[in-house]
This record gives sequence, structure tokens and C-alpha cells, in this order.
Amino acid sequence: MQRIRLLVVAGAIVLAATVGFSHTAGAEGESNYKDSFTEECAHLLSEGGTLDDCQEAPNPLVPAPHELLYGTLAFLIVFGFLWKMGMPAIKAGMAARSDKIKDDLDAAEAERTEASTILTEYQAQLADARTESARIIEEARQAADEVRSGLQAKAEADINELKTKATADIEAAKLQAVADLRGEVTALAIGAAEQVVGRNLDAETNAALVEAYINQVGANS
Amino acid sequence: MFATEFPPLGHIVNWPGFFGDGAFEFNKVVLVYVLALLMVVIIFGLAGRKKALVPTGLQNIGEMAVDFIEDGIVMDTMGEPGKKYAPFLMALFLFVWFTNIFGIIPVIQMPASARIALPLFLALLAYVIYHGAGFKEHGLGYIKHALVPPGVPVALLVLVVPIEFISKFLVQPFSHTVRLFANMLAGHILLVTFGVLTGALMGTGILASVVGLLPFFALVFFTAFEVLVAFLQAYVFTLLTGVYINAAISHEH
Repeated sequence: MQRIRLLVVAGAIVLAATVGFSHTAGAEGESNYKDSFTEECAHLLSEGGTLDDCQEAPNPLVPAPHELLYGTLAFLIVFGFLWKMGMPAIKAGMAARSDKIKDDLDAAEAERTEASTILTEYQAQLADARTESARIIEEARQAADEVRSGLQAKAEADINELKTKATADIEAAKLQAVADLRGEVTALAIGAAEQVVGRNLDAETNAALVEAYINQVGANS
Repeated sequence: MFATEFPPLGHIVNWPGFFGDGAFEFNKVVLVYVLALLMVVIIFGLAGRKKALVPTGLQNIGEMAVDFIEDGIVMDTMGEPGKKYAPFLMALFLFVWFTNIFGIIPVIQMPASARIALPLFLALLAYVIYHGAGFKEHGLGYIKHALVPPGVPVALLVLVVPIEFISKFLVQPFSHTVRLFANMLAGHILLVTFGVLTGALMGTGILASVVGLLPFFALVFFTAFEVLVAFLQAYVFTLLTGVYINAAISHEH
């Protein structure tokens, strides 16, 4: 902003100087004439010229030497300045910016690649963790199955053992009960027979008869 | 009422000297040269010193100008081999444009290119440069390169070679000069015409003042138009220089 103000002030000074130059040039020794052209015409007339000479303009196709000289110098200075200082400085700034943008893009690309690599690694690790957890869960499930199977087998064995034992106990009890029942039935039968037929047979004969009778009944049942 | 005096042509563009005599006379045209020189040096000097990542102000103007010359003129006319001519073309464009634009800057109001000295010097300089570049590129074969267009039947060469010689070696610098000079002079005469007419009509009576609004509005319009012309003529002059250089250094023949 300050530079712009400086430029404006410089421009105003130049303009003021220009106006000053114009007035100075216009005022130079011409107090008796309306303007410089009138003065020029008056000189021409005083030197024997005519009004046509006053209207005659310099040939516009012939370059004025002073304009050619200053124009050449001014252009060569402009060219030299732009060639050696102006353009290289501006282009250096543009190149520096391009380089910085390129570097930033490269850095961003490198960071993106790194982030992508890290993401891939994380995804791989996550997949490994999932696989591992699945494996562990499977192993645990298998172990649990094995334990369950073992316990089940043991329980079945125990049950079978208990069942066998219970069956044996029941069989023994049954045999005992049958034996006891036989004895009691025998005794009852004998007692009953004794009551019926009196004393006609001895005890051993009676027992044998009853036993035979019961076996016959058991075989038939 | 309408008998306004129109100044002679020489008086429109032939400025008296502020100081100095002969070849060192310093007049308004020379002042325009100096102002154009100062503007280029100040603007592009400051533009080159600032190297912000996001360009603003003068840095932006400087970079836009460089891009415009390199991409809009050099690459369009010559391609990559023309990059080494970019400083010359940039100097041409900026100097011509700044000297043109002073045609509408109040108080100064004189396009330096409306005087033949500057266009003639620049066109002759361009002439030397593009023919020099041609000889440097092709050696003496450049003469054939310049005078014998490809594909022309041998029988027609008798006609074509003299035409090409006159066109490229004799007329081209003058057409290059006159295109810029005449356009700027015509624009300046147009502004002076409407300015003089407005000044003559305004304040000399109610009717004349009302009629004087017409040339005044025309003056405003043509002043704005001259902004475009100033740029366009600088661009055309620079573009043609690029085209001429390219025609001289190309190997398409």
C-alpha cells in the first residue's frame, strides 16, 4: 500500500513537472503571442514566408532525430533491464513458487503413500488379529468340545457303570427275593400241605415235591 | 459558429522542446519515452523483488505480463525455441504499450508511437533481429529459405522470388512501422478532432452547447476505444515480430 502511495505521489510530481515544462516552454519569450504556433508563424512571416508556410506541417514520415535518439536509448534501457533484471527476477519468483508447490505435492504424495502403507499394514494386522482370534476361538471351542466329549463319555461310563451295578444289584436282589420267596412259598406250601394231608410225608420229601412243583411253574411262566 | 480552427497535422504531434536543441531536444514525446521507461523499470523492478507464494499487486502484474508474453506470444508464434527472444518481445510490448497509453493520460495525451521515430526504430531493430536470427539458423541458405516458398513450381520462381524479396526484405519493415504509427496517429487525430470540436462548441451558446454534447460523447467513447487500440497495437506489433522471427528460424521449408 505504501509503495502504491509512493507511486501515486511520484506520478503527481511527474505530471506537475510536465505541466510546468509545458507552461515554461509555452511562456518562453512569447509574451506578445497567443501561443507557440502563432509565434512560429510570425517568425516565418517576418522572414518572408507566407500563410501557407505557417500551415505547412513537417513531414510526419521523417523521424525527428531527437525522438529517434531518446527513443532508441529508452528502449535499449527497457530491454536491458527486462533482459538482465526484470524478467529473471520475476521468473525466479515463479520458478521458486513452482518448485515449492512441486515439493509440497511430492511431500503430500510421499505422506499419502506412507499413510497408505501404514493403512495396509494396519489392515493386514487387523486381518491377522481376526484370524488369530478366530483360531483361538476355534481352539477354545475344540477344547471345550473335547472337554465336553470327555465329560460326556465319562458321565456315560459312570452311568453305564452305575446302570450295570444297579442291574447287578437288582439281579442279586431279585435272585435273593426269588430265593427268599421260594423258601417262604415252600414253607407255606409245606405248611399248607401239612395242614391238608397231615403228616404223611417227611419234610425233605415234601420240600423236594414242592421244589419240583415250583420249577415246573417257573418253567411254564 | 461552426467555423472552428483545426490545427495543422504537424501541430498536433509536433511538440516544441522543453529544453535542449537539435538531436538532444527534450519535448513531450521524449518525456513519454522517459515516463514509459520509468514505469517499466519501477513496476517490474518492484514486481521482481516480491516473491510471495500467492502473488498480489505488482508481483501479480509482473507475472501476468511474463505469462502473457511467453505463453500468449512466444509459444503461439515460435514455440519452445523462441523462449530466448522473450525478453526482447516483452520489452517491445511493454514499451510500445506504455508509450501508446499515454495518448489518453490527462495532461500528457500524446501517444509517442504517433510519431514515426519510435515505430521505425523498433521495426528496423526487429528487422535486423529476425533476419540475423535467420542467417544464424540457416547460414547463407537463409536467402533461399526466405525467398523460395516450398511447393512453388520452378516456372513460377521467376515471379515469386522477386515478390518475396520485395515483401520480406524491403516492404516488411515499413509495413511493420506504418501499421503501428498510422493506427496511433489516426486515433490521436480522432481524439484531437472531437476535442477541438467539443471545445469550439461548448460555451458558445445554448444550441451550440447542446450540439457540442455529441462530439463530447464521441470523445469519451473514442478515449475508451483508444485504451483498447493502445493494447491491441502493442500486441499486434509484438506478435508480428514473433511471427517474423519464427518464419526466419523455422525449418518447415
